Amino acid sequence: MDHSRLTDFLRRKMPRAENLRVIGLKRISGGSSRETYAFDLEWVEGAETRTRALIGRRDPTGGLLKSDRASEFRVLEAMHRAGLHVPEPLHLELDPAVMDRPFFIMHRAGGRTSGGPFPQTEPAPLREKIAHQLLEELARLQALDYRALKLEFLGAPKDHAESARAQTAHWREIYDRDRMGEHYPILDAAFAWLAANPVVTDRVVIVHGDFRSGNYLYDDDGMLAMLDWEMTHLGDPMEDLGWASMRFWGRGEFAAGLMEREAFYRLYEEISGRSIDRERLFFYQVLGNAKMATICLTGVCDFTEGRTVDAQMPFLEQLLAPLCDDLALQLKLA
Amino acid sequence: MLRPTVKELLTRLQGTVTGILIPELTSPYAQGQAMYVATMLARAASIYDQEAEYLAAESKNLRATIAALNRLAAKHLGRGLGDLKKALARGAKAAKTSPPDHRAMEAVISEFAAALALGRLDDAIARVVRAHLKRHLDRSREFLGNVNLGG
Repeated sequence: MDHSRLTDFLRRKMPRAENLRVIGLKRISGGSSRETYAFDLEWVEGAETRTRALIGRRDPTGGLLKSDRASEFRVLEAMHRAGLHVPEPLHLELDPAVMDRPFFIMHRAGGRTSGGPFPQTEPAPLREKIAHQLLEELARLQALDYRALKLEFLGAPKDHAESARAQTAHWREIYDRDRMGEHYPILDAAFAWLAANPVVTDRVVIVHGDFRSGNYLYDDDGMLAMLDWEMTHLGDPMEDLGWASMRFWGRGEFAAGLMEREAFYRLYEEISGRSIDRERLFFYQVLGNAKMATICLTGVCDFTEGRTVDAQMPFLEQLLAPLCDDLALQLKLA
Repeated sequence: MLRPTVKELLTRLQGTVTGILIPELTSPYAQGQAMYVATMLARAASIYDQEAEYLAAESKNLRATIAALNRLAAKHLGRGLGDLKKALARGAKAAKTSPPDHRAMEAVISEFAAALALGRLDDAIARVVRAHLKRHLDRSREFLGNVNLGG
């Protein structure tokens, strides 16, 4: 992001602000499907000097996901209105003339992220607290009425059988687009199994789409904010639970790096007041592995074909091995 | 012989990134990217010699599996599995080209792996496909480095 263009943009968005300054603009890692920038904003309003910590998220030239910035912003607005722990979204700009590609500005929450599974080095009481908070947040999300929040644009399934089919078809299409003509027998088998064994949900909820350790900010007092809402859609509540508890995002039998998987499930049932459907959960864990492998292939493909120069992308090839191992185990393929 | 060799070049450039570039970078994001570059250069150096061997072993595995499936086909690929018989014929043809058509053979194995996942194969064929996939996974894990996010 260009400093002076960003300053001009914010001046236009904040006409009452005087002496507006963008301070310490720097690109940061995290949210690796988007370019993410951190900065502080300082301005004078009514003779008072104010500051705010902000984040800019801009579409990349290529990378892990092709998602819609406007949708992500509207979802974030809805989640903020609904009282979920999310950074407050502030300004959306879709005109590429402003900063080359669409972007939005949101509040910068404090704390840290783990990248992957919750770190083993953190104290056990904090792990347990965050497990509770994470599942409380999930239960709150799943209890929201997407119609009341005007989120029908996310594509409400026609019936309860459509969620699983639609997600399978969506990721299969991306897999076929980004496998660069190669065949991955385990992934081909997984997508065939998913297409042949669709599950039927009992209700349609808002699905975050990337609900896991590594996608929330926390500090020593607990969880602060859930991030990365770009894959949000409407679907089966077991989808987010399945993704959050996949072996890939955990550590051995520790779901999300937070607590033993079965204890994690029991806690979800206790907090949400709903039983877990193991068949649907299994389906979404298979889908989760196939989806994550597909996301890796997208990164590798965009790097190989020159749409991105992000040096993290070729590394993603190495993540295919554990994902395919899990799929082989799940579907008894080897 | 040309010196440095490709492997030597990649190894030394990794040293340039870690020894010269990274200490000079002040942005944590740029440092992170440089670390990935260094890691990928190290990986490229380490697999430079192994890639041909890996592909040769994969190709041999594919040819052996297709041959084994062909031997079982008459007895074990019965009614309703005509698609797999046709795939196998394509696989046998791909295995005979010089060099063998790796991608076409892998496509055939993909069809059998999908049939295995769907429970369409009898025990004898399923055993062959499972054994193939196990060898493929073992080799991939070894070649790709068995990275695990959870440590």
